[in-house]
Amino acid sequence: MKRDKSLLIIRRVLVVIAVLAVYIWAFSGLPVLQFKETSMEVISSIFSGLLQPDWTYVYDPKGEDLLRGLLDTLAIALLGTFIASFLCIPFSFMAARNIMKNKAIVGTNKFILSFIRVFPDIVLALLFIKAVGPGAFSGVLALGIGAVGMLGKLISEDMEGVDLSAREALVATGANPVKTLMFAVIPQVLPNFFSFVLYRFEINVRAATILGIIGAGGIGTPLIFALSVRDWERVGIILLGIIVMVTMIDIISGKIRARLT
Amino acid sequence: MIEFKNVSKVYPNGTRGLKNINVKIEKGEFVVVVGLSGAGKSTLLRSINRLHEVSDGEIIVGGKSITKAQGTDLYRIRRDIGMIFQHFNLVKRSSVMRNVLSGRVGYHATWKMVLGLFPKKDKELAIQALKRVNMPEKAYMRADQLSGGQQQRVSIARALAQEAKLILADEPVASLDPLTTKQVMDDLQHINQELGITMVVNLHFIDVARKYATRIIGLKQGEVVFDGPVENATDEMFAEIYGRPLEEDEIMGVAR
Repeated sequence: MKRDKSLLIIRRVLVVIAVLAVYIWAFSGLPVLQFKETSMEVISSIFSGLLQPDWTYVYDPKGEDLLRGLLDTLAIALLGTFIASFLCIPFSFMAARNIMKNKAIVGTNKFILSFIRVFPDIVLALLFIKAVGPGAFSGVLALGIGAVGMLGKLISEDMEGVDLSAREALVATGANPVKTLMFAVIPQVLPNFFSFVLYRFEINVRAATILGIIGAGGIGTPLIFALSVRDWERVGIILLGIIVMVTMIDIISGKIRARLT
Repeated sequence: MIEFKNVSKVYPNGTRGLKNINVKIEKGEFVVVVGLSGAGKSTLLRSINRLHEVSDGEIIVGGKSITKAQGTDLYRIRRDIGMIFQHFNLVKRSSVMRNVLSGRVGYHATWKMVLGLFPKKDKELAIQALKRVNMPEKAYMRADQLSGGQQQRVSIARALAQEAKLILADEPVASLDPLTTKQVMDDLQHINQELGITMVVNLHFIDVARKYATRIIGLKQGEVVFDGPVENATDEMFAEIYGRPLEEDEIMGVAR
């Protein structure tokens, strides 16, 4: 008993020493923080800009305004998610071990899905800008392809957890493989499918706001322009718009998802 | 109705599931297959609708060889064979109605089924089937909201909606309590007697087997060791099938 206790104390002391060592090592490598003389001035102007957003930018009948930018962003996210939700279906079936008995096909599809997931949305968007030119279309393609990786993985794993006893029953009634899938497997994965697609839509809305920064359409483009000319009031209203839109979509989609499952 | 001709089954690992089975089952019979677990009851039953493949011999169902049938022919033969499982095998997330309707999918074109287009007649059939098992009011509940006995009766309704000429039941009451066992077995008996649907049922409980069967087939290590009318199935005969005297857990106490 006593030995156990002293061992425990020794172990704790060692852990504390190790943690302290890591901290010391990390902070010693840090460059000395240096503020430029103008830093404080810039920071205060950023804050004042954010606190006094440029309300006239919200709606401009002539074009280029906040609402249209947000709508563009939303459209990119929606279209991208829509495309991905279709593209991921064949991959999900073929990557589910219990549905597709051929191990080589399952392995290949699982690999393809992981391979797509390797690329961050921004990288995909850069590739598509080179391929189809800058604009909303490259953003849509980037999100549409990028989301296949995540959706395909989640849905195929959900399918692997499906109760296959109903499939046996359908086969016994004389149903062919397509009918069996429709009646025994699809009803079990459909609610989660919609839930995953909605979740990915939330992610895509957020991703679409930055895509514009590299020229793939949406609210990111006016944001990067406003930032580069230090138009803080403009930056303020754009950020405010993004926050409101993303929060609203998260709340709505969260509510729907809670009902689905 | 069903004819086994020299049927044998050897599993890939070398175990013999069925050994040279020659059995003929006539229309309207209520056959109960008994035997220890692992004696090949389930294999025998599932070879009838070819959920399991046999390695040798032929099985004729309704005049057609199911062991030789391919593609659409196989689906056609299966369409006439209803099946009831120990664990009900319903789609738990779907409604009772949809589960019963799934017995009808073999009758319609694939594209119609993908869109879920059932003719009105099928829905009436499904409701009728549910009435026969005394649960039409549960039609629009989700299957997983029902008790075990109710779920098993839904699966009976599914076989009825299928308009099967033959129903296979693999341990249909093994996961039910004595009271619901009686309800489910009574349902099967009524269907057998009133609609003339042939029944082949695997059972573990001897008293239940005796009460409902018109004919008993005893399996032991993949071989038929008894086949005859229920009157001939004496306690000694059962001891022979089981290779030892009867034990408490093989009597459920429903029949008394």
